[in-house]
Amino acid sequence: MAQIKQDMPPEGGYRPIHFKRIPCKTFFSGAAIIGGYVGMTAGAAYIYYLNYGAVFRRELEVKGGSLAIYPMLLAERDRAFLKQLRRNRDEERELMKNVPGWKVGTWYGEPVFVGPEADKFHNPSISEYYVHSSYKDMKKIVNMQFAV
Amino acid sequence: MTITEATELPTDEELTVQEVNLSGPVLKAGAFHLGKSCEYENNEFILCRREFKDPRKCLQEGKAVTSCTLNFFRQIKKTCADEFTQYAYCLDKSSPDQQYTPCRKTQAVFDKCVKDNLGLDRPPFDYFNRVHVHKSPRPALPVEGPAVYPDATPGLPPTAETPPAKYGSRFLFFW
Repeated sequence: MAQIKQDMPPEGGYRPIHFKRIPCKTFFSGAAIIGGYVGMTAGAAYIYYLNYGAVFRRELEVKGGSLAIYPMLLAERDRAFLKQLRRNRDEERELMKNVPGWKVGTWYGEPVFVGPEADKFHNPSISEYYVHSSYKDMKKIVNMQFAV
Repeated sequence: MTITEATELPTDEELTVQEVNLSGPVLKAGAFHLGKSCEYENNEFILCRREFKDPRKCLQEGKAVTSCTLNFFRQIKKTCADEFTQYAYCLDKSSPDQQYTPCRKTQAVFDKCVKDNLGLDRPPFDYFNRVHVHKSPRPALPVEGPAVYPDATPGLPPTAETPPAKYGSRFLFFW
């Protein structure tokens, strides 16, 4: 018959249970974190302010340079534009010469714009301006600033 | 289909003049001095364009702009060709979008040459962004007033009685 041995705690009892909370090591206090955040934001805002002015002046100068040459470019563009309008009109006259009742610049004699001034200049739309050229040529210029 | 037979278009002879055959960096390099020396012609042309909104009516002004620009670049070529070429080359090669900032040294050399030879100062960097008053010899266009319609509803005569509203205001929130 086997001896019954009661399971008992070790001599002197168990070790104490660790229940005390061990917090993380703190490097900064709360006030230091908030103060640091405010200070860094203020410093960054000041640097941003300086940089903003510099970028603004730089872009202003570039824009000024473009404005200075704008009249020259516009004058050149106007002459090329008017030449092309004449070419377009000649092309349309040549193309539609066999169509009875067709009048150039109108829909069988019905004008697009009606008004008191007969000679008023109406800017043609971009698709009208490029109507006698290929779509590829129109696509090249359709988003450009100086186009029609 | 807006250009009809009745629309007057200038002939090719009227439109053909010597154009400014220069590339973008070169134009940008000369832009500030050009704008300053051709200021009158430029303002006259842009004023005409904005007033008439018609490219056909501003051809003479446009030709004046082009010839002034050509004259300016001829003068530059005669006097400061090397400095100008250096500056334009720097603008072309220093940044992808032809910024003025990386080329201050060559710009200073070019400015000094222009100042010595042509007596032209470089205008302040925001000179062309400011509002300028331009005195044009051309008379001003008549101002178009508000439209007058003959069949408009006539208003009350000035002696008409205006009694208070019979049922108060119809606006419910402020009775």
